[in-house]
Amino acid sequence: MSETKSINMSVKIGTLKLKNPIMTASGTFGYGGEYVDYVDLNKLGAIVVKGLSLKPRVGNPPPRIMETPSGMLNAVGLQNIGVHIFIEEKLPILRKYDTNVIANIYGETYDEYKKVAQKLTSAKGVHALEVNISCPNVRKGGLSFGADPKSAAAVTRKVKEVTDLPVIVKLTPNVTDITAIAAAVEKAGADAISLINTLTGMSVDIFTRRPHLKNVTGGLSGPAIKPVALRMVWQVLQKISIPVIGIGGIMNAEDALEFLILGAKAVQIGTANFINPQATIEIIAGIERYMELNGIKNISKLIGTFRS
Amino acid sequence: MKNVYIGEILRNEEVAQDCFLMRVALHVSFTDPHPGQFVMLRVSGLVEPLLSRPFSVCSFERQNSSCSLDLFYRVIGRGTQILAGLLKGTQVEILGPLGRGFEVAEHKKNIVLLGGGMGVAPLMYFAMQLDKDTCSSSSAMYFYLGAQNAEAVIGLDQLKKFSCTIVTCTDDGSMGEKGLVTQIFLKDLKKFVPGETMIYACGPKPMLNALAKILQKTKYPCQVSLEERMACGIGACLGCAVAVKRSKKSSSAYKRVCADGPVFDINEIVWK
Repeated sequence: MSETKSINMSVKIGTLKLKNPIMTASGTFGYGGEYVDYVDLNKLGAIVVKGLSLKPRVGNPPPRIMETPSGMLNAVGLQNIGVHIFIEEKLPILRKYDTNVIANIYGETYDEYKKVAQKLTSAKGVHALEVNISCPNVRKGGLSFGADPKSAAAVTRKVKEVTDLPVIVKLTPNVTDITAIAAAVEKAGADAISLINTLTGMSVDIFTRRPHLKNVTGGLSGPAIKPVALRMVWQVLQKISIPVIGIGGIMNAEDALEFLILGAKAVQIGTANFINPQATIEIIAGIERYMELNGIKNISKLIGTFRS
Repeated sequence: MKNVYIGEILRNEEVAQDCFLMRVALHVSFTDPHPGQFVMLRVSGLVEPLLSRPFSVCSFERQNSSCSLDLFYRVIGRGTQILAGLLKGTQVEILGPLGRGFEVAEHKKNIVLLGGGMGVAPLMYFAMQLDKDTCSSSSAMYFYLGAQNAEAVIGLDQLKKFSCTIVTCTDDGSMGEKGLVTQIFLKDLKKFVPGETMIYACGPKPMLNALAKILQKTKYPCQVSLEERMACGIGACLGCAVAVKRSKKSSSAYKRVCADGPVFDINEIVWK
């Protein structure tokens, strides 16, 4: 155990310091409290909480999820308790832990994004904002913002105007050219970019001839999307200079290492949390072991060492 | 800190058409499940199928140095097909026990359990506990056991060991009463006085819907155990949403079958 002490896994995303590059992906870790029986939250680089809107949202009618080959579709519909209840009830619990709390936010108008960002900026215990401009589930739920470079940039600017917290913009893969969106968001002042959100998909019940999801379409996540995520992270890295956070189908340390080697400063663990609530902790341990075995003392010596 | 348990399959056999009983040996530190609770199960090391499957606990036994868990399942899709092919000795990952189980009603003269199809599983475990429980020894237990036909009846031999009145119902009359479990129960309903009776039910959605209709204008208290597709089982994915009545406004809200249930008061649910 003493050997691992000499290994430095800390990374920086703008001004945000992380003890390791492992974060939870929004929507897969609740508000943190759901996992305290399984995970020592102090060990995580950051917790990205379930996407918050100005008002609580009830979400979509069930069925909301469906398993697909090496993945799952979800159409939860941004169900959340709203920013007010989050600040009152959930944030005090998270403050007790020595980790970064990243609030994922979304709105249906520029004004809503601004208001949610303002409220979280003045609340104690939020270390960064992640702006969801990409959730594909609700018809008005941000798809129009994230699919167009101009509106993606506009949301970024509006949020930056009202906060001094680091702003991470989370990109949707459901676009023609993700690098154009990434470049626009960087120019608009984003401190970092996270990608990818889920890929829109669907699944048909051949017996009822109806969609498996009540919402018809849903967001695909899990190991099935990892190659797409890696490709997009790689493309975006060549276009921008702000830090990139890799997301998409990471199930184990090897998967996480692929993203880090490409140049992602950090990664988010999503669907894996559903299958193994201790996935994040096991991935951190696995990266540490890999560094030990390969004689890498500082993770900065590993990040971005991809040989193309 | 809770952990994911590695269990070892002790037996996995077909007990009725397409219905399997799996017994899993677990480390002694596994918590005793409360009746109505469930576990998430997956085959160790497999990425496909990706998600764990929820199964309610059908029996649980504790020995000195280990414990064992019984799960009933019906082969309905790829996930359960794979499970059905697992041999004795195979390792499975078990998360649990999870969720909120049945609440035992004190001082009820009659305890009525209604199980349809695989819904029998959690009620069998409940019946086992009630049978042991001295507090409820003054109560009479009735078990309405429903299945499509005689071949599909599960758990009967086990239930016969308990002191309860068993009413077997089959859709085609090939065993016991002919008719749906809810229809047969409706015929007997007058026998039970609402204030002295507690009803517990688990089964397919149409069965629970029918039960909700039967009970909606009565004063019989009833707890139902629900089933829904879920990804995590611990309240994070919000996949297993069930519509519940809201007291203030007319718009419905959702609860999580895994963490807020799977057992709910029948009056809390929005039935179709």
